Amino acid sequence: MSGSAAMSDIALAGIGLGRAAAAEHVSARAEVYNMDVVRKFLIASVFWAVVAFLVGVYLALELSWPSLNFGLSFLNFGRLRPVHTSAAIFAFGGSALFAKSFYVVQRTCRARLFGGEALANFVFWGYQFFIVMAALSYVMGYSQGQEYAEPEWHIDLFLTVVWVAYGVAYIGTVLKREEPHIYVANWFYMTFILTIAVLHIGNNIALPVSIYAAKSYSAYAGVQNALIQWWYGHNAVGFFLTVPFLGMMYYFIPKQAGRPIYSYRLSIVHFWSLTFMYIWAGPHHLHYTALPDWTQTLGAVFSVMLWMPSWGGMINGLMTLSGAWDKLRTDPALRFSVAAVGFYGMSTFEGPMMSIREVNALAHYTDWVIGHVHSGALGWVAFISFGATYYLVPLLWNRARLYSTRLVSWHFWIATLGIVFYITSMWVAGIMEGLMWRAYDQFGFLQYSFAEAVNAVHPYFVIRMLGGVLFLIGALIMVYNLIMTVYSPTTEVSVTERRDAALPAGAALAGE
Amino acid sequence: MFIRHETIEKNAVLMLVLTAITIAIGGIIEIVPLFTIETTVEHVKGVRPYAPLELMGRNIYVREGCYLCHSQQIRALKDEVERYGHYSLAAESMYDHPFQWGSKRIGPDLARVGGKYSNDWHYAHLINPQALVPESLMPKYAFLAQTPLNYDIIEEHLRKNRGVGVPYTDEQIANARKDLEAQADPAADNEALLKRYPKAVTVAGNGRAPTELDALVAYLQVLGTMVDFADTSTEQLQQ
Amino acid sequence: MEEVSEVVVGLLMLVLGFLGLVMASGALDNEIYIFGLSLAGFALVFELGLIRRHFDRKDAARVRVGRHV
Repeated sequence: MSGSAAMSDIALAGIGLGRAAAAEHVSARAEVYNMDVVRKFLIASVFWAVVAFLVGVYLALELSWPSLNFGLSFLNFGRLRPVHTSAAIFAFGGSALFAKSFYVVQRTCRARLFGGEALANFVFWGYQFFIVMAALSYVMGYSQGQEYAEPEWHIDLFLTVVWVAYGVAYIGTVLKREEPHIYVANWFYMTFILTIAVLHIGNNIALPVSIYAAKSYSAYAGVQNALIQWWYGHNAVGFFLTVPFLGMMYYFIPKQAGRPIYSYRLSIVHFWSLTFMYIWAGPHHLHYTALPDWTQTLGAVFSVMLWMPSWGGMINGLMTLSGAWDKLRTDPALRFSVAAVGFYGMSTFEGPMMSIREVNALAHYTDWVIGHVHSGALGWVAFISFGATYYLVPLLWNRARLYSTRLVSWHFWIATLGIVFYITSMWVAGIMEGLMWRAYDQFGFLQYSFAEAVNAVHPYFVIRMLGGVLFLIGALIMVYNLIMTVYSPTTEVSVTERRDAALPAGAALAGE
Repeated sequence: MFIRHETIEKNAVLMLVLTAITIAIGGIIEIVPLFTIETTVEHVKGVRPYAPLELMGRNIYVREGCYLCHSQQIRALKDEVERYGHYSLAAESMYDHPFQWGSKRIGPDLARVGGKYSNDWHYAHLINPQALVPESLMPKYAFLAQTPLNYDIIEEHLRKNRGVGVPYTDEQIANARKDLEAQADPAADNEALLKRYPKAVTVAGNGRAPTELDALVAYLQVLGTMVDFADTSTEQLQQ
Repeated sequence: MEEVSEVVVGLLMLVLGFLGLVMASGALDNEIYIFGLSLAGFALVFELGLIRRHFDRKDAARVRVGRHV
């Protein structure tokens, strides 16, 4: 290896981009890495995205016009809502995370996925089996009755097996890496794998009525159950929808922008502080309830503090674009990733604000919370996934470029408009509900009945539904674009090489 | 920094161990005291395990996802107490596996809905909510009235509840089937039922086998009625 | 690596598939019945896939050797 190449290797240590790219180019056909599983998860993530958005739109329709429940048990809001949340979080988000984490870990460790094809295939098909079984059980009327942890005990156990297999494949790859440093994206993915395992097992301990019956009774009751559920629930947001998507940000934004990460030091500080603080934030879901005050206060304090590490991540992502802002004009896929970081910053400001008790008194139980969740889920999670997907599909299918960047642009603006419809309508609806519930008339009586508040938010529910439709249309445009990309002619010259040539030397992270 | 981060970055096992410690701290500090501090659950009188029919109704409440639109937790805020009744106590859900406090009110809070409406109102409302509340966004649950309640292993349900900490007695388990049927039949002698489960509300039945709707109404009618607040002192409410 | 992985995953799927059959056989409700049968079916298809991959790889190796000779 020549001197200058060795130099740049040192500079790239820990990021592994240069050599990994070269390695991929040399044997693009033989595939040094297991990209088959990445492609499968990528297809699954796009498929489940459409399913999740479609079910979401239908639920929004039901809330606008309840006769659309049709009195059919399996179409009822209560049974379909877990299908929507599970499809969005676990099926779409999860599949996207599997795809991108398997891609990133192999590239940055310069090692083929540990455990061979059989293990990778088990993780893929096992996870899809889990999703289908969970969704089927909800519509058939089986649920644990805890938000985002609805699958009953047997499905939980199956998921645990798949998750362990995922952990073995991922951590095995990290352990056999050829790079001395573990790249920052992998810190986030490893934390995700470990913490989700702890949360999943901790929250789902239950006693089945019989091993031949789906019904089980949670090991916890009442107030303890509430705290453990929100320790789980809020950290599903923290360690499923934030931490690993930050991992995605730490790999794909530098690649798309062709710039090194803004600050190595900031990534260390924000990684550890985020990991430490997120776990405390759960009790802010239980303000003014029967949960003891000291726990509520702790939860609120840490939630507010969480603002800082969250914005540390945002700054690190956005500032990576310094000197490359012009690419936003020419690369709409990058626009998705960057807008995602913007939405991340917005919802991580909104979240701490809503966890302050006085604000929470108004916002809790209202649609403001629903709007907040969606600004994170649509704006951050979905957008960063779309950005990475647009980047990966031409690479993985060896195509020169996407079928159409104009369509990416259309997707971007339609989806953004959809989010704006969604979150603004939910702000208005939520604050209106909160104010109507607490309004007193001049005689000192409660001014509105509950039903009057329900009536008042109807127009905003319709607007929310339209926002969802726009977001769905955007996703369908993406599906069309990706299919046309895959059906376009292959290129002999690896796309990776051309992109990496543009990567400036000194894309250093480690080695500081 | 007193340790070089590079050391952690080069050692995957070390990084995982440190991560595990980092996430454990917050969880342990917040969760463990809830099990050890004795006053977390108030010492009030009246909270009892659910009667068999109520328990089965509760399972239907859980499986249909009622908690996605209805909370069961009245916060200690003036308007909520005026609208729904006394703020919820931790003791009132101490036998709830799982808890159903909820997080969203598309419909009103149900923590104290028990006794507020008649049985007939609940039946009519669950079958066709819009007939009674035109603004309601609630789906129709008429299908519950057509589904016979499956209570083949009702004893096992009580036993497993005892396994996770609900103090069902041997007598209650042995009489589970009888109690369930008595509560779903207004013509039945319910003296033994009321002795084992005070304030249990007998529901329609109409001489048929108990339906899922019967169970659900029995559950709704007991919500928030167990504690007698006139007979509860401020000290008892302290956490 | 591939062989070890196939054996380990193959055995795991065998256990899961068997458990599925046991659950389906004693099922007290539709959910466990459907889940158990689906799990058994999933395991069966997955095992067939493993077997297919194994022989595909053998064939590919033979073709390669044949060419060199």
